[in-house]
Amino acid sequence: MPATTIHRLIVTIGFLSLFHAAYSAAQHRSYLRLNELEFTHLPSDIIAQGIISLFVIMYGVMYVAGDFRDIKASADLENKSWESFRNVPSFYTFNHRGKAFSPTYVSITKSALDEAE
Amino acid sequence: MTKIKNDKNIAATAYNEAAIRNNLAVVEYCRTSMAALSGCTAGLLGLTGLNGAGFYIFAITGLWIMLLLKAGPNWKKYFISRRSLLTNGFFGQLFTYILCWTFLYGMVHVY
Repeated sequence: MPATTIHRLIVTIGFLSLFHAAYSAAQHRSYLRLNELEFTHLPSDIIAQGIISLFVIMYGVMYVAGDFRDIKASADLENKSWESFRNVPSFYTFNHRGKAFSPTYVSITKSALDEAE
Repeated sequence: MTKIKNDKNIAATAYNEAAIRNNLAVVEYCRTSMAALSGCTAGLLGLTGLNGAGFYIFAITGLWIMLLLKAGPNWKKYFISRRSLLTNGFFGQLFTYILCWTFLYGMVHVY
């Protein structure tokens, strides 16, 4: 599944949420400092928001990074038959001596050249 | 699946090198992002000492599980080894992690 706008949106939302969690943590720290309390741990909602937004971002980044490709060498050839495998249209030749078999073919002979002169 | 029989009658599988390199590049991108982002999260949570190292292992394992979920049940189609997916670049990314960890810790908890 290729990366879509939805995945980029998920990454953006995750980053905003992570930034919000960081801002909340900084605010909690300043609250503790103003009330002269000892820091033991962050409130659990900030911890949960931080960890959840980390995984939300990673989910988005994983799809933005790109798709996996099949590593088996035969993967590209599996839906081709042997007849079409050697078929290279760029190297078709139409101007070859087989055209002499055509009933509408007009050959240029030496006598015809002499008459033209 | 292409099987090439050699003299010892061991079936060897032919791999597409470009596809392997593409998959490893995708995984490397994810791993670098994960190291940076989990470092930011660890700094935000105010982890210190061994808690931070534990969080790194938690993050790496989480990324591994998410990659395997993305690859689906037949992960052997995309990767040769599942374990090297977990352990590759473990210490290399640790420095990215520590950089972001200390930076965010300083931004949020010190200043």
